[in-house]
Amino acid sequence: MSSALREIIECLIFVAMEPLSLQRIKAVLTDYDTGDIEQSVNELLSLYASNERGIQINRSGGGFLFSTKPEHDLWIRRLMQDERKSKLHPASLETLSVIAYNQPVTLAEISSIRGVDASQSLKSLLQKRLVKISGRKKAPGRPLLYRTTDRFLNYFGLDDIKDLPSQDEIMKILDEEKPDDES
Amino acid sequence: METVQSYQVNLDVFQGPMDLLLFLIRKKKIDIHDIPIAVITGEYLNYLEDTDKINPAREADFLVVAALLIYIKSQMLLPRETVSDGADDPRRLLVDRLVEYQKIKAASSLLKEMELEEIQKWKRTSPPVFTKEESEEFDLREISMYDLAEIFFHLLQRRENENVHVISGKTFSVEEKIKEILALLKDKGYIEFLEYLDSQPDLEEVLGTFFSLLELIKANLVVAVQENLFEPIKVWLRKGVKA
Repeated sequence: MSSALREIIECLIFVAMEPLSLQRIKAVLTDYDTGDIEQSVNELLSLYASNERGIQINRSGGGFLFSTKPEHDLWIRRLMQDERKSKLHPASLETLSVIAYNQPVTLAEISSIRGVDASQSLKSLLQKRLVKISGRKKAPGRPLLYRTTDRFLNYFGLDDIKDLPSQDEIMKILDEEKPDDES
Repeated sequence: METVQSYQVNLDVFQGPMDLLLFLIRKKKIDIHDIPIAVITGEYLNYLEDTDKINPAREADFLVVAALLIYIKSQMLLPRETVSDGADDPRRLLVDRLVEYQKIKAASSLLKEMELEEIQKWKRTSPPVFTKEESEEFDLREISMYDLAEIFFHLLQRRENENVHVISGKTFSVEEKIKEILALLKDKGYIEFLEYLDSQPDLEEVLGTFFSLLELIKANLVVAVQENLFEPIKVWLRKGVKA
């Protein structure tokens, strides 16, 4: 396999501001065999995985995207004259977790699980485009239903909603949290 | 109350009543599936009483759960016909909610870790700029009307010495001037604001030109930009505008 195709794909991923899906790459490179494209993508991925470079290819939000390696964050922040990037508020994180694991879900359902009124955090998540309205529930009052977005996947470095921490991983956290039970 | 309050924790550290309940359950080393409801209700109410600052919006959520706890406690006191097999345990509703909330709390702590990791990766989605000022059309600073006015008054001061008492008799309209400017813009691409005003033959025309420019900016037909502070202001035709 010539390196030309690999280089083209590298360019495509480089110029893309959002995760570039394999589908999209294939749609652009109509002159090439899809098998060759897949092979070149894999070659490119392994090349970057093995390379001693500060840049890596991330697989998140259903596509490929270049990013810097997390360990160099400090220096980039200095260059950008940027303080630490802002993180989500704990309340927003909780609301987001409820939506991620129960979607599609209504505001009333979110509030009921969290035990507090979740409308503020939901509003902020909608503004950040981490969640979206996906329709209305066929229930009294036809309340709005909410889902997570692709941006949500990208923000947390997930390729697919299936890659969310599993029930097992969650149970493991819960077990770790109660060591004083035995002591 | 069975326990003496020896600690004070602000309710604000808890994400809600469920969070507080979980904290109490963990602190008392209670099995979540077999909660001594009287103990936990007492503890919970203690917390509510201890808060000095009352935030009605937040308190309400805590009070709802307090009411639920008291309700469950009262149900537990009532004699039952059959031996409880768990299905009609009045605590059931609370336990289910607590278990569910516990999972969400754990999941959100996992998401937090993932967020932290991702935040340290810089992607091209974050704009590769050093300054936050960025105009939509050009990588230049867009000038506000106030900036223009300020510069205009400087210019007027400079031309103060001119003999303004001479009446030229020549009249022109803002409409005509607008047409003239647009034609010039189409021809040259841009005009230098100050230079152009200065080139006007008399004060009357300077004023007319200035008003024309303001009209054009207001109508979003042209844009005034400045590459850097103290550099000449250039007036450009907006993209997609035909002269």
